[in-house]
This record gives sequence, structure tokens and C-alpha cells, in this order.
Amino acid sequence: MTGPQNPPSSPTQSRNKKTLLVTEPPKFDLESYIQNYEGRTRLERLLHIGICSTFLGVDALKLAVKEAKRGKDTKRYIQAQGHLQTIGPNEPEARRDQGWIEATDKKNQAETNRLQTELNGYKHNLIKESIRMGNEDLGKQYQAMGDLPKASEAFGRMRQDISISKHIIDVSRHLIEVATEQKAWITVTSNVQKIRGILSTSDEDKSIIPYLQAAEALASFDNGDYRNAAILFLGIDTGLGSTAATIISPNDVAIYGGLCALASMDRNELQKKVLENSSFRTYLELEPQIRRAIGFFVNSRYTACLSVLEAYRADYLLDIYLQKHIEEIYHMVRSKSIVQYFIPFSCVTLDSLNQAFAPPGKTIDKELVTMIQSQELNARINTIDRLLEAVPSNPRTELQRGALQITDDYAREARRRIMHMNASMGDLEVKGKRGAGHNMNLSEDLFGESVGRELRSRGGG
Amino acid sequence: MDDLLPKLLFFPQHPPPTTPLTDTQYDEGIRAQITAVKSLSDSKLLLHTSSGESVLDFINPAINTVPYAFTLLATINVLQKGSKNVKGENLWDNMTGFLANFDPRQIRYLGSELSTIIETVVEFAHRSGQSSAAVAPVSGALLRYDPTGGMLTSKHLVLVKLALSSRQWADAIPTLDNPILYFPTPQKPPKSKLLCNMANPPNAYITSDGGFSRKLKYHEILEYFLYRGMIYIGTRNWKKAQQSLEDVFTFPTKEGAVSKIQIDAYKKWILVGLLLEGKTLGLPKVTGSGPAKAFHIIAKPYEAVAQLFETGTAARLKAEVDTGNVVWQHDCNMGLILLVLAAYQKNQIRNLASIYTKMSIQEVHTSTTSAETGARLPNVQATETLVRSMIADGSLRATLSAPPSLVLSFSLVGQALSEPQFQRELAASTTQIKALTDEVKHTDHMLTHEKDYIKWLQKQKSNGKNVVDQGVSGMDMDMDGNGDDEEDLMAGAYR
Repeated sequence: MTGPQNPPSSPTQSRNKKTLLVTEPPKFDLESYIQNYEGRTRLERLLHIGICSTFLGVDALKLAVKEAKRGKDTKRYIQAQGHLQTIGPNEPEARRDQGWIEATDKKNQAETNRLQTELNGYKHNLIKESIRMGNEDLGKQYQAMGDLPKASEAFGRMRQDISISKHIIDVSRHLIEVATEQKAWITVTSNVQKIRGILSTSDEDKSIIPYLQAAEALASFDNGDYRNAAILFLGIDTGLGSTAATIISPNDVAIYGGLCALASMDRNELQKKVLENSSFRTYLELEPQIRRAIGFFVNSRYTACLSVLEAYRADYLLDIYLQKHIEEIYHMVRSKSIVQYFIPFSCVTLDSLNQAFAPPGKTIDKELVTMIQSQELNARINTIDRLLEAVPSNPRTELQRGALQITDDYAREARRRIMHMNASMGDLEVKGKRGAGHNMNLSEDLFGESVGRELRSRGGG
Repeated sequence: MDDLLPKLLFFPQHPPPTTPLTDTQYDEGIRAQITAVKSLSDSKLLLHTSSGESVLDFINPAINTVPYAFTLLATINVLQKGSKNVKGENLWDNMTGFLANFDPRQIRYLGSELSTIIETVVEFAHRSGQSSAAVAPVSGALLRYDPTGGMLTSKHLVLVKLALSSRQWADAIPTLDNPILYFPTPQKPPKSKLLCNMANPPNAYITSDGGFSRKLKYHEILEYFLYRGMIYIGTRNWKKAQQSLEDVFTFPTKEGAVSKIQIDAYKKWILVGLLLEGKTLGLPKVTGSGPAKAFHIIAKPYEAVAQLFETGTAARLKAEVDTGNVVWQHDCNMGLILLVLAAYQKNQIRNLASIYTKMSIQEVHTSTTSAETGARLPNVQATETLVRSMIADGSLRATLSAPPSLVLSFSLVGQALSEPQFQRELAASTTQIKALTDEVKHTDHMLTHEKDYIKWLQKQKSNGKNVVDQGVSGMDMDMDGNGDDEEDLMAGAYR
């Protein structure tokens, strides 16, 4: 079913830092998948698939090489070509096109110099609009070359010469794109807020809203804040279309949003906020399996829900953002399912739980232990009869114990305060020696007598 | 001697008059008698009767406390001077007999005399190399003198030191169990309050110039609480030890000052918390922020141990303890540290109860480790023995099935109290709280008569402000009362 090698056997084990290898065939078609995107993210995604998937690797890398050759980023080309050389040395694209690299590098250098000189000229003449555009061109050039820090610097310089609000949008959009590739999510969210602040009600301005929402949601998602991300994804207006194709596709919105919701919301919320959400439904229709999984969960068919998710594990592992989070999200969904599954029962056999929830060939015993320890699951394990038992509640004992505890605590607290007041009245507080340090006035009391230390040692034994 | 007897015994009247004396009459009577007895010289008091008996032989200390006490003092005095005429062989019995039987009403007029007798008992026991013998009489006398036990006197200090150094803990416990509320102050009780009024709280008849106790210094108070905590540690009463140690480091301080005794107490408190609850307890609300900061810095090694005890592995805990050996030894906490190490695995086993209902001993064996060695116990039998001992001493609520299966079943919830039992417990709590209400009223009364408070009131009045009585007695002492208000008022009183 699933392909990653050495998946974490327990949630406590940290995720593997090594590159995952996905050996299972994914369900999507590479060509149509990549058509959803534009710009540099295409190359990035192809490269990611090429490195991780044994099944699509060669095809993806071939596409990546072609894609790279269409652009100006020679580093990326070398990367793609290098990987292809390892896994598919017989492909024609696997040969390094040294001539192209050198020519492109030279061209890039010349172009950058030209733009720089132009910009200096504009600066000399103090033409604001030209300086702004000069910076923009330079930024684009750096971005295309893959020099992201310089690109974001150049785009940032555009801000000094802004004259209309449209320009603010331009600057921030450029910055969002660069920052997304750098995964600098704070920059992304702050620029989203900057655009929001100046949006008018014109149609043109409105059309950018889904783009902003998607960027913000993605930032929240990659930070691991699933609950918040779910809310943001679910709130994306219809009409994202390909407006955000340089960052995220509508399919991604459906997948990320659906998985985050599944991981962080309860059944009622899923029903109300996801399935009955008309704007999100348009996205969900693109990825029916997510809709199905959520539907199964809402209808308490947890095993079916989990098996849908498992079936798509390979796909999600090949996504540049999801790969990092998928284990945790799946784990959260599974624990939630176990908790929900267990609610109506007082006792469940471990074998039936294993059957329903454990990945094949593994047991969930350890997972149950951690869930009980973290108090997600209010139950106890019986390893002798292999049962998971609900904790019987006994409100009467709790009440009795609580009442007596409160009176006891109250009495002790009151007494201590009376004692303290009497100490204050008698001027008996601990006082520091005069002239001692400010912070720590250790008073010099040496236990009155020389026997003090000896006495103290006795008490220990 | 025979002619002196009526003078010695004229008060209290025997048999008692049909209508009991009023407090004023009693006060006059006993004062007159004390003057009379004091006027007699030691030698006269030590004369024997015609039948050859000493006064101490036939006066009952429970009825004629005054003459008995003075005769006892005379005997002590003469013996200390080295006189050969007086026999001292019965002195110990006489003194302890007196301490166990004196009349609690008459003794209030004899503070300094009682003090001397107690000191002599301690001294006597010490010289004969049997300090432990003095613990019970002193403890009993303190309780008899102040049945509420709420007043800390310099004799209490003598008692804890005696009990600690002689390891005779159990006899001191009845006295130590009483929570301390008052300290001796030089203030004179109002004239309307006669010493013989039995309804008076202890601070009406125990004052720092009454002769029984001198005024205490703060470090002596801290010492008392610390030693009391250590006695509880000695008796393995972790709960009481923890509370007593808390009394030390929550003691009010001025200007962020911290006493070394408080730090010592805090260190022990951390370890005791581990033994009691298996985790670090939160600092009590009344801990000052200045001291709290100092504790965290100075007691760092202890807090590290506590952290590892809660979440670390046995091997790491052991390593931490081994590296800190010098620290524990220097602080004289080695004994506690060893107990903590021994408690680690027990705590692990108890924690299993929050995950499992039933498991085999084999599983217990493989999932727990001993911090004493940093490894698993050598074999399953050792684990079984440990589990059995825990069940036997009540620290693990579980049952172990008979061999060969050896299944450990944890009992999930505690036994519910039966209805009458619960009623009894509640009634006890209610009386406790009611008694406390009186103490609160009393303290409030004292506070409103404080010099500083009155000065403040005058100032307020002269400023023309409307003064609202912020006394504590107005507060709601009911169980369902709003606790926050009261805490603020009380907190304001000493901060």
C-alpha cells in the first residue's frame, strides 16, 4: 500500500530527516498534475517528485531538465540533470549540456549588468516610476536565476518609489512569491496583511482575495498550525482558479484544507464547516477522495476513512509541502478515530482495534499507551485479556474526596495566613543584613548553635 | 512543718465550694497564695512533717499545683547548691509527675516556675545520658500548658532539638501536630482578661515577659519548623513533613531577604514532594517572589533531580545523583536522596496504573527500571517482591494473582466512604473550620488594636477620608464563601 521506507513506527519517534523514497505508484498523472502550476514552482515540484519517487522519477526528472533549460536557473538544471544521471543514465537528457550552461550563465551575467546599469541611470535622473520598474526587472531577473535573497532585496526596494496602491499589491505579490519558495512564512503573512490593508472594492482587487487567502493558509499549514490552517483553507472564496498557480493549485487547497480539518476538527464541525461549506465544496469536488474520507469520518466509518487516506499516502508524499506533515496529520486522524471509535464502548479488544486502525503488520499498542499518557484517550489497557477498557467514573468518590480536600486546604491556608499576620505584628519577618547585595539578601543565620548542622543531618536518615 | 501546711494548702479550697469561684475571686485567691508561698524560704519548704514525709510526698500536684511547684523548685535549688541534707533520688519522678499532672488553670500563674522545671528535666536527662527520656514529659507538659498548641514558645525549640538529637521522634509528635498560630509578644494582656479565664487563647497568658518563653527571633521560628519537618521525615510522614517545610520557606520576609534555613527547607521540600506525590509540587501561593527566585537558583541541582525523577530514565537519574554526591552530602540530604532513588521504580509502577488495568509481572519487570542501579531488576522475582511489598504497605492499590500466572490488577478507583463515615469526616472538618473562625476573629481583633493600624486610622481620619473597617472578621467564613476576597484582605495585611 504505502511506500516510504522506515516510516516512523510510533508518533514519538521523530520524522526521518533523510530523503524519503516513495516506491508505490501514485494515482495522479504527472503531465496533468504539473499543468496546474506556473513559474518556478513547476521545476521545484518536478525535482521533488524526481528525487522521491522511484516510479515517476525518470519521467519527472526528464521534464524537469526540459523545464530548467527553458529558464535561466543553471543551478537547478545541474541539480535535475545530476539526479537524472544517477537514476536514468541512458536518457538523452541525462547528458550535461555544458554549452548551454556556459551560454546561459554568460547571458545572465550580461543581462543583470545591463539592468543594473539601467537602474543606476534612472536613479541618476530621479525618475521614480523608472526606478521602480528597474528594480522590478532586476528582481525578476534574480528570481529567474534562482538568487532569491537578491530578488527579494530588489523587490523590496520597489517600495520606496510607490505612487499608486496597485504598486503596493505588485510589490507584495512579488515578495510573497519569493518568500513562499524560501518558505519564509512570516514575510508571506505580513505581505498578505499589507495587501489586505489597501484593497478597494473594485472587481480587479477582489479577484486577488482567494490568492491572498491561499497564501496565508499555506503559511499557517507549513508552520504546523493545522487547526488554524484548516479554518483559513475552508474560508477561501471561490474563484482561486489559476490565479495562484505560481504557489498552489485549487486541488492543493482541497487536499490541504480537507486533511487539516480532518486532523483538527470533530465530527460536527466537519459536517458543518467542511461538507456544508458551499465555497469550499467547489474545491472539494476536484479531490473526491478527500470528500469521501471526511464523509466516512463523519459517519463514524473510521476504518474506511483511514484506508482512503492510506491509499493516497504515496500521492501526498510526493507533494512538496505535504511530505513533511503527512505522518503527523495521519497520526492525528488515527488517534482521533480511535478516541471516537471507543466512545460508545466500555471495553474493546485490542485485536479489533488493531484490525481497524493499525497499519498492516503492526500493532497500535504503543500508540495507545502514548495516547493514554497524553490523556487523549480516557481508557486503560488490559494486556492479559488484550482489552482496552473505559475508565469507570465514580462521581461520588470524587465528590467526597474533593470536599474533604477543600476544607483541609482551606483550613491550612487560613492558619498559615493567621500565623503570618502574627509574625508581621511581632516584627518577626526574615530580614536581610544591611549592606548585603540587592538581589539576594541571604540572611546570616547560622542555626543559632553549633549543633545545628549535626542535628540537620540526623533528620535525613 | 505541720503548722505550715494550712498556709500551703489554703487554696484551692478542698473540697471545692458548692458555687464555683468567679474568675475574679479565683484570681485573687491564687495570687494571695503565691505571695504566701513565695514568702517562705527554701529551707522551710523542705522541712519534713512530723511523720517524716516530705511535702512532695503527700501534696497532690494536680490539686495543689502552686505549693508543689515551689517546693520542687526549692529542692532543685538546694540540690544544685550541693547540699547533702536533701535526698534527690525521687527528684526525677517528682518532676515528671508534676509535668504530667499539674493543674492547667493554676499553672498559668507559674510560667517561669514551669520553665525552670522543664529546663531542669532536660538538663537532668542530658547529664544522665538519657536525653530521650525527657522528650515525653516535656512534650506532655507543653500540651498541658497550652492545650490548643497554637503558641510557639522557646520550650518548643528545646523539644524539637531534644527529639531530633535523641531520635525519640514519636513522643514529640502530639505536640508538633498542632499548627502554630501565635508567637510570644511583649504585649500585656488587657486588664479585663484574667490569667485564669480558661476561654482565653494562649497568647493571653503566654507572653514574652511572662517568664515561660522569651521572645523568639525569626531564625528560631524557622528552625522550629525545619526541625519539625525533619522529625516528620524521620517518621516517614511525608505529608506532614511537606507542610512543615512549607511553613519555613513561605515565612514572610522583608525586602526580598531569604534565610539560609528557608533554602535548606526548600531543598528538602523538593525531595519530600517526590516521595509524597512522585512529582514536584507547585510552590504555595503565599511564597514570596523574591525568595522563590533565590530558591530556584540555589536549589538547581535538586530541581534537576526532580525533573529527571518525573520524566527521565532511571540511568539518567542515577547519573545525575552520582554527579551531585558532594552537594547532597554537604547539605546533609544524602538519606533523602537515597530514598528518592529507591522510590523511582515504585513511582513508575504506580504510574502503570494510569495506563493499564491488568498486566503480568513479566511486563512490569520489563517496563520499569530501578534508579538505584540504573538498570532493570536482576530478575522477575525481584520485581514480584517489590510489587508485593508495595501492595502490603498500601502504596500500590492493586492485587496480585496467585502463581504461576502472577497477574497484577490495578484497582481503578478508590473506595467510596460509607455515608456515616463521610458524615463524620465532614463534621470534623466543620468543627475545625468553626474553631478557625474564632482564631480569625481574634487575630482581627488584635490587628485592629495594633499601634500601626491605629496610627494609620488616625491619619486617615485627619485626612478626612471615610474609613472603612477592613477587618477580617467581617469576612465570610462559610465553606461556600468567596475565598478570593478574604485572601486579598489577608494578603494585604502583611505585605
